[in-house]
Amino acid sequence: MVDLSIILAGFSDAFSLTNLLFVLFGVVLGQFVGAVPGIGPIMAMAIAIPFTFALSPIVAISFLVGVNKGGLVGGAVPAILMNTPGTPDAAATALDGYPLAKQGKPLKATKMALFSSITGDTFSDIVLITVSAPLAVLALKMGPIEIAALMIFTFSVLAGLMGSSLIKGLIAAVLGLLVACIGSDPENFTPRLIFGYWDLFDGLPLPSVAIGVLAISEILHRMSESFGRVRPAIEFVESDDPDHDRVTWAEYWGCRFTMLRGAVIGTILGALPGIGSTAAAFMSYAFAKASSKDPSSFGKGNLHGIAASESANSAVMGANLIPLLTLGIPGSVGAALIVSAFMIHGMQPGPLLFENQGRLVYGLFGAMLMANFLNLWVGQIGLRLWVKVVSAPESIIFSSALLLCFVGVAMATSGLFGVAIMLIFAVLGYLLSSFGYSLVIFIIAFFLGPRFEKSIAQSLALTNGDLTQAYQSPVAVALLILSVVSFFWFLKRNAAVEKKQNS
Amino acid sequence: MRFTADRVSGTLFLALGLALYFLIIPNYVESVTDGNISPDMMPNSLSLILALCGALLVFKPTLHSTQTMRSFAITAAYVFILTAGIYAMSLFGFVYVGPALALAIMLMIGERRPIWLVAGFVAMPALIWFLVVQVLGRALP
Repeated sequence: MVDLSIILAGFSDAFSLTNLLFVLFGVVLGQFVGAVPGIGPIMAMAIAIPFTFALSPIVAISFLVGVNKGGLVGGAVPAILMNTPGTPDAAATALDGYPLAKQGKPLKATKMALFSSITGDTFSDIVLITVSAPLAVLALKMGPIEIAALMIFTFSVLAGLMGSSLIKGLIAAVLGLLVACIGSDPENFTPRLIFGYWDLFDGLPLPSVAIGVLAISEILHRMSESFGRVRPAIEFVESDDPDHDRVTWAEYWGCRFTMLRGAVIGTILGALPGIGSTAAAFMSYAFAKASSKDPSSFGKGNLHGIAASESANSAVMGANLIPLLTLGIPGSVGAALIVSAFMIHGMQPGPLLFENQGRLVYGLFGAMLMANFLNLWVGQIGLRLWVKVVSAPESIIFSSALLLCFVGVAMATSGLFGVAIMLIFAVLGYLLSSFGYSLVIFIIAFFLGPRFEKSIAQSLALTNGDLTQAYQSPVAVALLILSVVSFFWFLKRNAAVEKKQNS
Repeated sequence: MRFTADRVSGTLFLALGLALYFLIIPNYVESVTDGNISPDMMPNSLSLILALCGALLVFKPTLHSTQTMRSFAITAAYVFILTAGIYAMSLFGFVYVGPALALAIMLMIGERRPIWLVAGFVAMPALIWFLVVQVLGRALP
């Protein structure tokens, strides 16, 4: 168990001046790029990760936490002002945010998004800090058999929840696992599927694959949509009433139950791998509308609508780190990118992280809390500026993002070979998303692949090649039964959804 | 049987799974005699599952529809420009190729305003050079 001195040392690392400045820089950068339509926090993190190579681990991770949290706040800006959410989870925010902006209250809408986002985020961070260490202690008691069973369960849940069909979810997972086989096999270290390229012997570089699949493929989609025409800047309705530019305490306090419910929904869904912030935002929005005395005002600029969706989608981010830090399983794209950053800095996420790098983990928690406060202050000052940022043309955004990805990946992989791999995976990511396959399942399977294979090899060694011995582990049996149940449950659910669509 | 996006991708995954199982894995994965798990066990199992899922998708497609052929053609043009950019960067370096690549992409998107073109063509590459070389002390590709 982590002792108090490590916790205090971690928090003292987080609250150093250097760290504070980098978190501040991360928050400003995150809010800025989050406000730029077409980039969003995930792409901003993907671009920023290789640039953290030159920083110390705590500063690098804190900076990325700042970018991620800042991006959550900034991401609501284009959704509210332009009705074009940069990320799917901001779509629920646009339902009431955009009508409010059209009524001449764009600042009121963006400020409500800021306050509720930070409320939800802080709630889930506190849950993360409280429950992750005890969960990691439990996770440490798990052996290779239980870990293999846990991964099978994760794949069954991921495939069912995130794809448009179970078969397509399975294909995305299998493809990710196959790509993870490239390099050397984890038991004998013989070259495998490297096609004569010895640079691949250690496996495909995670930054190249992650940035290619998640960032460049999205840029390719956007560039093909805006080919030959630069999208026009937006126009705002000016208002002289100062109340239209702020959220009063009474308005904020009036939304307290909505925000609390959103934060709880976001935290619960965020702790489960794969469900994602979009589902949390819409679920919270639906609950808020259903429990409202005036449901007809939703969709017409109701502050409760913004509070519900923003508190829920922001709460997901902190809770996503619970499976990552305790089990080493990234539950979302953002968490998968944080894994890349951890690995660039020589850290292996999972239960041992608390034992081996406890100080760093508590430093990360400190940075998360600090980023929440900075997010609030920067947001209060910066929102007026970010409102102007949304009018930047896509031509300069995409060309700059591409150059940054090229340089960042070349730095992280020490050469252009990694950049070429990034482009190959960008094309693969583009094709997969075009044909409706989940990129998140693909990237999570790619990350978990080597560990999954290793845990199976270790399980075989422990059971003398007889995997039926797994029944002696009640945890493994329970997880395998859950995998089978969830698999058939999703099969049934998908069939019902398909039947409904066809009718 | 209708020609749908899922049937196209399902057929491709079926073909890829079979090609991996019968052609690629036997030739590009070394075999060992000892150990608990053979190096080709995982890729072989996965390729068979991929082929099976591909076949299932062909027979039971969803209603998903993909982009137009024009979108794919435009993306192919962008990928060609980026590939050429990486190759040129390996010969001449980022300092010369980066600005040209940015300009080409901006022109393809449709940007014609001189101020934005200069910002993308000169200011952004200069900012990246300053950040990487001067601030971080690292070399550009």
